[in-house]
Amino acid sequence: MSLCRLAFSNFKRSVREYAALIISLAFSVFIFFNFQNILYSDSMDVLNSMKKDYIDMVVHAASVVFGVFLFFFIWYATNVFLNQRKKEIGIYTFMGLDNVRIGKMYALEALFIGIFSLLAGLLSGAVFSKLFQMLLMKLSEISVDIRFSFSVKPILITSAVFFVIFGLMILKGYVSITRSSVLNMLSGAKQEEMKPEKVWLAALKSVAGVAVLAAGYVCAIKTGDLDTLGYTLMAVILVIAGVYLLFGGAIPFFIRRLTRNKHFLYHKQRSLWVNNLAFRIRRNYRTYAMVTILMICSVTVLGTAIAMKQRYDKMVHFQDTFTYQVVSSHEMDMEEIEAGISQNNKVEYKAEASYLILDPSMFHTEYTNFTYGIIPFSQVKNIAEQAGLPFEYTELKKDEAIKLSHIILMSLAGQDAKDVQIGDSTYRVIAEEDTAFLGTMQEQMDIYVLNDEVYKELEPMGTLLHMYNYKIEDTSNADASRPYLKSLAETDENGQMQVGVNFSGSENNTEAWIRVMYSLCVFMFVTLILAGGSIIFIKLNNDAYEDGERYRVLRKLGIGEDTLYKSMKNEIRFTYYCPFVLMAVSSWFAIRALGNVMKEDLLRVNLYSAASILVVFTLIYLVSVRVFRRKVLDKQEK
Amino acid sequence: MKKIMEIRNLVKSFGRREYESQVLKGINLDIQEQDFVAIMGPSGAGKSTLLNMLSTLDKPTRGQIFLDGEDVTKADNKRLSVIRRDKIGFIFQEYNLLDNMTLEDNIALPLSLNGVKSREVQKRVQNMAKLFQLEEHLSKYPYQLSGGQKQRGASARALITEPKIIFADEPTGALDSRSSRDLLMSLKAANDSGRATILMVTHDAYTASYAKQVYMLSDGQVQCRLNSMGDRKVFYEEIMELLASMGGER
Repeated sequence: MSLCRLAFSNFKRSVREYAALIISLAFSVFIFFNFQNILYSDSMDVLNSMKKDYIDMVVHAASVVFGVFLFFFIWYATNVFLNQRKKEIGIYTFMGLDNVRIGKMYALEALFIGIFSLLAGLLSGAVFSKLFQMLLMKLSEISVDIRFSFSVKPILITSAVFFVIFGLMILKGYVSITRSSVLNMLSGAKQEEMKPEKVWLAALKSVAGVAVLAAGYVCAIKTGDLDTLGYTLMAVILVIAGVYLLFGGAIPFFIRRLTRNKHFLYHKQRSLWVNNLAFRIRRNYRTYAMVTILMICSVTVLGTAIAMKQRYDKMVHFQDTFTYQVVSSHEMDMEEIEAGISQNNKVEYKAEASYLILDPSMFHTEYTNFTYGIIPFSQVKNIAEQAGLPFEYTELKKDEAIKLSHIILMSLAGQDAKDVQIGDSTYRVIAEEDTAFLGTMQEQMDIYVLNDEVYKELEPMGTLLHMYNYKIEDTSNADASRPYLKSLAETDENGQMQVGVNFSGSENNTEAWIRVMYSLCVFMFVTLILAGGSIIFIKLNNDAYEDGERYRVLRKLGIGEDTLYKSMKNEIRFTYYCPFVLMAVSSWFAIRALGNVMKEDLLRVNLYSAASILVVFTLIYLVSVRVFRRKVLDKQEK
Repeated sequence: MKKIMEIRNLVKSFGRREYESQVLKGINLDIQEQDFVAIMGPSGAGKSTLLNMLSTLDKPTRGQIFLDGEDVTKADNKRLSVIRRDKIGFIFQEYNLLDNMTLEDNIALPLSLNGVKSREVQKRVQNMAKLFQLEEHLSKYPYQLSGGQKQRGASARALITEPKIIFADEPTGALDSRSSRDLLMSLKAANDSGRATILMVTHDAYTASYAKQVYMLSDGQVQCRLNSMGDRKVFYEEIMELLASMGGER
C-alpha cells in the first residue's frame, strides 16, 4: 500500500475521532471567508456614500484580527492533533518505517484533514454568506438590498491564507516527528510524571500572580483620570500576565493544597477529580489562561461595540436637538425667522439665547485657536424650558460654573480640571453637562454657564452673540428651508460673519462606520466565545484519549459508573467554569475601564455578555460531558 | 470455617457452534474463609479465564459462582459493581496504581469513594502502610516507587476495604525475587492475621509455595490439589515434583 493510500485510509477511519478538530478548522474558515466575502461583495459598494474608507478600514482591521485568530487557532488545534497522532503512527516504527516516512504520512493525513475542513468551511460559508451579510447590515441599521453574490476572490484569499498557515503547521509537525525519538513518539503527549514544584517557587508564583492581577485591576479602575491611555495599556498587560501567572502558579498551588488536605479530599469523588486536576493543570494552564483572556477580550469587544453604539445614538440625538441655528451679532426677530421657515416646514419648538464670546487669553489657556464663551444661568434655563430639555440645576453661586460639553465617541484624555479661570477670577466647575442646550454650537466651543450677576460684570469684555434655535417636525424635509435661511446670512465689509446659519443632523450616514463596527464587534464577540469554548473542547477530547486507561483500571476495581461519571463531570465543570469565573471578575474591571473611557455605564453590557458566555459554555460543557462519557466510559463497555 | 466462594460446574466457551472452543470444562471449587489458594497450570490451561469469571470481570457460559452466598453469574452490571466494590479486592500483575495521585491517595481511594469518614480512611491507610512497610512512601507518586513498592501499594489498596476475597493475577509477574518475597510475606501476614482470603493465579512455583493450597489446572479442568503442611520450603518441593510429574517446566 502506498504511503498516500495508507494516510488516506487512516484519515477515513479516524474522521469521526478527529471531528472536533475538523469542525474547529471548518468553523474558523467559515468566519474568515465570510469577512472576506463582505469585503468583496456588492454591499460594500452601496456603502460608498457612507465614508467607505472608514468602513473598509474597519472591515480590514476585523479581517486582520480574524486572520490572527485563524493563525493561533490552527496552531493550537494542529498541536493537539500532532500529539495525539504521534503515538498512533509511532507504532509504524515497528513495521520498519523510518521517521521521515512517518512524518510524511502525518503530513499527508493532516493535508487530507486540511482539505476536508477547508471545503467544509468554504461550502458552509458560501451557503450562509447572504445570511451573514444580511445580519451584518441589519445590525448596522443600513438598508442594502443584498443579492446572493458569488465572487472567486474571497475563496482564493481564504484558501491561500488557510493553506499558508496550515502548511506551516504541517511542516512544523513533520519536523517534530522526524526529530522525535521512538520513545518520545510512542509516549505522545502522555504525561507520566507528576513532579511537584518547589514550595517556595510555587508560593512566589502565586503571590506574583495575585499581585500582578490586582495591580492590573487597580490600573483599570484608574482609567478616566488624566493618564487614561497609560493606565489602559498597563491594565491590559498586567491582566494578561496576571491571568497566566494565576493559572501557572496560584491555582495549581491551591489545588495541590487541596490534595494534601485529606479531610477535604476523601469525600465523595474528590479523590479522583481533584487529583486529576492537580495532575493536569500544570500542562493545561496555558490553555485555561488563553481561554480566559479570549473571553475577557470578547466581553471588552462587545462592551466597546455597545458603548460606541450608545454614544453614537446620543450624538445623533445631540445633533437633532435643533435643526437650524441662526447666530447673529445683532438682535433679530425670532418670529420673523420662524415665519420664513414655516413656508416649507412646521416648527416643533424654538428657543433663543444670548451668550458672550471671550478672548482665549481671558481663559489663561494654551489652546488659543479655540473659541471660548460664557452664558448666563437664566438663559440656559430659558432654553431648556422652551425646548423641553431637562434642567435640574439651582441658581449658581458667584464662584461656580457649569461646563457645557458635547458627546464624543471616546476620550483617552481623561477628565478636565475642576476649576476654570476667567479673567481674574477662578470658578469651581460643579458639573459638566452634555445636554445640547446650544445645539451643535456647543460642539464648536468651550462654553461655561455662570451666575447672571457675574456674567453681567464680564459682559463688557466680550462679544455678545444672539442665537435663534429651531427644531422642525419633519427633519427629512430640512433642506427645503435652506434657501430661505441662507438668505439670512450676512457678512460685513471686512468679511466678518454678522449672521451665520447652522444646519445639523442632515448627514448621519457619515457615521455609518460606527454602526458597521458595532455589528462587526458583535460577530467578533460570538466568534471569540465559540473559539474559547472549542479550545477547551479540543483539550478535553485530548485528555479523554489519555484518560481511557485510568477509567479502565477504576472500573476493574469496582468503581461504579455513577461515581466515575460524577467525577468526570466535576472535572469538566472546573475546566469550563474556572476560566469563566476569572473572566467574570476581570471583565468587570475591563468593562469599568471601558466605561470610564467611553463615559458610559456598561454594567448591563457586562452582565449580559457574561451571561451569554455562561450559556454558551454550559452548552459546550454538556456536549463535552456526553463526548467524554462516550469516549472513556461507554467505549469500555462495548 | 465459613465458605466464601462456591464454584459449580463452571464452563466457559469462546467462538460459536463448530468453531466453539471450551476453555473451562466444568470447574468445581470451594474456598473457605482465610484460605490462601494458588491456581497453577501451563499456559492456555484457563487460569486467567477462571480468575476473570471468579472476580466477576467476565461471565461464564454455564455454571454458578456463589460469593458470600450470592450467585454472581445472575447479577446485573450495577450489582456487579457493588459486589466488586464491597466484597472483592484486586491485585494485578501490572499494579494498576493511578499515576495522578500519591500512594496514600491510591490506597485510600476505594474507601473514600465508599463514603467512609476521612479520619477512618487515614487510620486504615496507616495500618495498611504498616502491614506492607510503605509508611515512608505514602506521599510519593507511582513513578517515584519501585515495582515492589507499587505492587505492595496495590495490595494495600486491595485489602483496605476488608473484602471477602482477594484475587491476585500473577502478582509477582513483574517483580524481582526480593520484591516478590517482600510482597508474598506481606500477603501471607495478612492472611495469617485473618484479614484476607486470597485466590492467586500464578505460573511460578515459588510464589505458589506461600499459599495454603495449590490447585493444578490443565486443559480446562482441575487436575489435582496440594495442601501445605506449614513448611513453605517443603511445600515448594512438593509443587515442583508435581509440576515435573505433569511435564511442566522446572
